[in-house]
Parts: sequence; C-alpha cells; structure tokens
Amino acid sequence: MVKKRVVITGLGVFCGAGKNVAQFSDALLNGKSGIGPLDLFDVSAFPSHIGCQVKGYDPLDHFDRITARKLSRADQFGLIAAAEALADSGLSETYSPFDMGISMGGGAAGMFQAERWLKAQLVGENAPPVLLRGVLPDKTATEIARACNLAGYQGTVTTACSSSATAIGWGAELVATGQQRAVLAGGSDTLSLLTFGGFNSLKVVDPEPCSPFSLGRQGISLGEGAAFLVLESEEDAVARGARVYGAVLGYALAGEAYHMTAPEPTGSTAARVMRNAIAAAGIDSGRVGWVNAHGTGTPLNDVVESHAMQLVFGERIPSVPLISTKAMTGHCLGAAGAIEALATVIALNHRIIPQTLNFRGRDPECDLDYCHEGKRSCEADIAMSNSFAFGGNITSLVLGI
Amino acid sequence: MIYSFNDIVVSGFSAVTAAGNGMKAVLELLGSGRDALSPVPDDVPGGAGQRWGKASGFKASDFMPPLKARKMDRCSHFTVGASGLALKDAGIDLKSIDPERIGIALGCGFGGVANSAEFLGGYFKSGAEGLAPVLFPNTVSNAPASNASIEHGLKGPNVTLVQRFCSAESAFVMACRFIAEGRADVMVTGGADDLTPLMIAGFAATGQLRRYAACFGEGSGILVLESAAHAARRNAPVKGRVGTVATIGLLPAGREQEGVERLFSGVERCDLLSLSGTVGGTPLLMQRVEARGIIDTAAILGRSLAMGGTAMATLLAKLQPGQQGVHLAASPEGPYYAIRFTGGAATACIPGEVKGASHHV
Repeated sequence: MVKKRVVITGLGVFCGAGKNVAQFSDALLNGKSGIGPLDLFDVSAFPSHIGCQVKGYDPLDHFDRITARKLSRADQFGLIAAAEALADSGLSETYSPFDMGISMGGGAAGMFQAERWLKAQLVGENAPPVLLRGVLPDKTATEIARACNLAGYQGTVTTACSSSATAIGWGAELVATGQQRAVLAGGSDTLSLLTFGGFNSLKVVDPEPCSPFSLGRQGISLGEGAAFLVLESEEDAVARGARVYGAVLGYALAGEAYHMTAPEPTGSTAARVMRNAIAAAGIDSGRVGWVNAHGTGTPLNDVVESHAMQLVFGERIPSVPLISTKAMTGHCLGAAGAIEALATVIALNHRIIPQTLNFRGRDPECDLDYCHEGKRSCEADIAMSNSFAFGGNITSLVLGI
Repeated sequence: MIYSFNDIVVSGFSAVTAAGNGMKAVLELLGSGRDALSPVPDDVPGGAGQRWGKASGFKASDFMPPLKARKMDRCSHFTVGASGLALKDAGIDLKSIDPERIGIALGCGFGGVANSAEFLGGYFKSGAEGLAPVLFPNTVSNAPASNASIEHGLKGPNVTLVQRFCSAESAFVMACRFIAEGRADVMVTGGADDLTPLMIAGFAATGQLRRYAACFGEGSGILVLESAAHAARRNAPVKGRVGTVATIGLLPAGREQEGVERLFSGVERCDLLSLSGTVGGTPLLMQRVEARGIIDTAAILGRSLAMGGTAMATLLAKLQPGQQGVHLAASPEGPYYAIRFTGGAATACIPGEVKGASHHV
C-alpha cells in the first residue's frame, strides 16, 4: 500500500499557557510560562500549591448554561480547541461526514466533576448524577463528533501521558491509508484532585515551577488543556487550497514491559521507539533537527530520556537540542502529547527552537544541549516529539514542515 | 472506514468471565440455556432487584504470585489471566518469540475507576495522609494492558482505548493494523472490565441500569492475532481469519441508512452473528443483517464496555471451518463496528502458500 503524505491544515489549543493558537504561540516563542498558584480545588494539604491551570475560565463564555452543566471541564476544553482547529482548517462542508473522524487521547477526563459525586457518596450526601457523565475520557470524543458532525472513525486512546501523541499518530495512519479524508487528532485533559493528589503522593511534584533537565529539579508541575490538529492528505489539502502547517511524517509506539511507574534505566525501549518513528517517517536520523522531549522534570525521567537520545543520535548528539515545553504548559497528562505536537509544529513554522524555561544549574547527569539559555533560530524542517507514560507506554512522533 | 485484514489470523483466544475461567466455561454455559448472572446484594446502593455478572470464581493467585497480585487492580488481574490463557491457547512460547514483535492493544471500559475511587476515598477520609501511593499507578486505564505486558514480556506496540461499548473493537482494529503495517507479528487484543458496588451506584444514579436493562458484567476476553506468514512459520493452531473491519462514528440524522450501508459494505453472507454493546437495541442494524444464528454473550455473562473481546472470542469458538461470522458492536450514540471473521482451521495457511510473504514495511 502506498501511503499518502499526511499534512496538518488546522490548529487549535486551549491551555494554561494560552487560550488559542495566537496566545499559545506568543508564550512558546517568547518563553512565557503559565504555571502559577492553583485555585481550582484545595491544594493546601500538599507540598506543592502550583500548576498550569487555565485561569479566568468561565464556561458561560463558550456554552449556554444547560450545555455547560452537561459537559465536564475536559469536554469543554476539548470542544473549544476542536472548534478552533476545524475553523482554522476551513474544512466544514468539504467532505462527507463519514469521511471525517476523530482520534483523541484522554486521561483523567471528567474526574474533576466525578470527585464531587464520590465525596458526597462517602459522607452520605446527595450530589447531582450529572457529575458522573464525563468520568470516562471517550465522552469528549463523542461530544466533539456530535457537535462537529464527524461521522467517521471515533476512538480515544487512554495510555496516560502518551495518549494524545498516539492518537495523532493513529489519526495520521487513518489518513495515510485513505481510510479517512480528514481526522481531528489531539487530546484533552484537566486538573483534578486525583492526579494532583496522586503525583504528590508519589513525591514527584516540584514545589517550584518545574525545571526540566536542570540541576536541582524535583519533579513535575501539573497542567491542563486541550489541543487538536486537523489532518488531511497532502493531495486533498492542495486540491482545496488549504493552508498547510506541516506534516505528520511518522510515529512509533511500544511498551517497555518493565515497571508500572519507573522508566527502564538504559532508555533502550525509548531509543527503539524513536528509531522506529524515524524509520516510519522514511528519513535518516540526521534529518531530525531537534527533539521536543517528554522532559517532565522528574530526576529520573530526564536522565533516562537523555540516555535514549544518545543511543539514537550517537556522535551527532551535541548538535541535536532536546527541549521541554512542560515548564511553560505544565504536564497536561492525557493532552500533553497533543499540546507538545502542536508546539513543535508552531516552532518549526517559525524556524525556532523554544527555550526550556526555569534553568537552575547544569546537572552532570543531563549533559546534552537543552536550550536553557534562550530560544534560538534553526533551519531544521523536521523535529521529533516524545511522550512517555505510566505503564511504560512510549510514543514518538516525527513532524515536519 | 473499512480495512481489509485477510492476511491476519486468530491463533488463540480465551476469557475470564462470570461463567468461569477459559472459553470452555463460556461455551458450556452458552449451550445450557442458563446464565451466569446473580442477584446484586441488597446492600449495594441502587442494586436491589438487579442482577450482575461477577467473575466471582476468578482468583488472581491462580495466575500470579500473591505479592504481584497485591500491586495490581482487579481489571489487571483479569487481563493478565485471560491473556495468559489466550497465549497458551495459541501455543505461543514466549521464550521463542522476539518480545519486541509481540504487543498488546486492549479496550478497557471502567478500568482504573475502581482504584481511583479507593485512592480518593483515602483522601476524603484522612486528607493527604490517606492517599496510598501504591494505588495511584492503577488509576490509569492502561494499567491492565501494561501489567499484562510486564507479566508476559510483551515489548511491542502497547495501547489502550476507551470508546464506550466499542472499546474492545477500537483496540482490535488498531491491533490488526499494527500487524498489517509490520509493527508487530503477533498482537494480544480484546477487552477488560471490572465491576464494583460503587459503579452500580453510579449506574443507578445516572439511569444506566434502566437504560440497558441492567445485567452489567465484568471480566476479560482476549484474542491472539498473528500475521498469516508468522502463524505458518510456527505451525500455529489457526482458529479463524480476520476479514474486513468497518466502523462509523455516528448515524447522522437523515443519513442513517447511508451509515448502515457503509458499515455492512462487503458483508455478503453471515452464518453466525455476534452482538455486542447495544446492537440489540438498534433496529436499523438488526434489520440489515440476516444470520442463521445469533450469539449474545451479554445475556448470559453481563454487559460491559469492553465486552467485545469476550463476544469475538465466543464467535470464533463457535464458527465452523469456512463459516462466515460477523461481529456487530454499537454504543447508543456511536461508534458502530462490523467485523468479519471466517471460522476454523480450514482457513489456515499452509507454509508454502505464504512463503516469501512479508508484512515488514
């Protein structure tokens, strides 16, 4: 089967670092972090009180009261980002609804609402059952499909922090093989007590804004948001005169089969996945200009990812910058891969490599080029975006312009 | 969307269900005219007068050491157990297969929710001190697939999907595609769900018990898929062949019939029909297909979001050589799946037939 080249014709994002593509691009290109104090729920019992919350969010700015009540925060963010991406693509009415699908990644989804129901159950109080409507992440894809009349493929990947990266790779696969003319691919996830309490209980949340690959880093900062890319075949996009932002060149995924939470220390599976993604893109590793790392800022992840990079790029490694945008967006879990893919496409379009914020000093165990000093210009037209997750789920996307 | 997977065979399957462990228990129950549903205890909120399909005969310690079992959630227990049985059924010696060429794609319904509730319960009762870190890794719905990958050493593609009542089918199509693309030679696929009293309370509160006539179930149904070439090389016990997989996300108002026709494109004959999710309550689908026999595992084992794994395994177990089977799955507002299988060892590839065939890209 000859695969079609898959291009990106629409972008949409809604997260703590920017409530649309213009705001997000400004933050990305000018090193503005959205991490700050959280007030979505009570965090006073935890060592960390910060995260990358979407501040000043009022659902009624986007939905009527009845609709807003039926949608979880994750559904709402997803619908907002999806609408921006679809409008940006100018896709409406182009294809049969059956030729347009949705492939998204989710995580804690509507847990923020469901937690209130659970708490009421435990203390014997009544809580409105509508709080449970979005507890599963597939609700967001279903809502978007219905709202946007996408009657083709509908699927939700739930591999924790690699979910939406895989969803983009799979969405691209559906287009490349001619199964769908267009796929809305991305993810949505929001802050919740479950994940905030969970990562704090594992002692992997930095009380200060996270500082990926930096000396003295103590862990992640959590975030929330949604991002979507509209994917089409290049021939279709050109035929309808669409604006093309870039291309999904290839992806790969695997399970480490090692440990539920700890990364395999040598980084060999991560390296294999990166190599396979590069091979799937049909390019030589020498074409990859830089890597948007998973880069959570946990002491172990950053070291292992750096090892894996060395395995992939060998002697060329000093000239392959490895950056993390998580110091800007926080770790958006199920939406992280999509937000980072979108950041990678925007940066490639501007021919820059974004800065990894919050440098605290050079860590001898992380001795690569992490762009701590500031953004820089770069002529590369291909970059890779990595996503790692609980359970050893690893996905790499190769993106180009 | 319609993929053809004529070069993919099913070499093994199994299930952990309310009927017991393994397919024999399901098939015996199916032939008996009985069901494995039992009354939901009266002390379960919302459960009075309801029945459920609890896999109460399942013991995690039959499949793994107790220390390991303590670290996993119940949904992972089911998945590790059922995937181990299915791999055995497929005659796969994990020591003689490249671990990077075997992966897992799982549909997981409410996996993680039970652990999430337990984990948060600790916080609501005792504050931050009450959060048990050991529970948190199993609050993600990919824990069952990942625990199974760790237990069985599956280092190939690894993915979990949740898509309403079509969760297992969503995973199945991806598993097939991974093999067709050459990303793996063998894929473990299917579905897993657990069912707790709190879920019954949630279903009762949201009207789901009434809507789906109750009888929710739990367990895991797993298939082992393999490229025909790989199966031939190891003389695998081929149980059937995958055909086309068609899916649509919605039946848009005014275009319902067009959607149904897309779903059934390529289905010429159906000797045995398997139902999953809410197909039975979707007249447009039921009217479209004529079958000599119908299997509805939900009626005897209970309904769940990822029940498609068990339903597909049962269909394959019942298909005679050369018979055409269709597995239909639906969620109330989509998606919808129609998956074709051809039954029996008669469809097995003989080594010479596929010599030189390669799925590697």
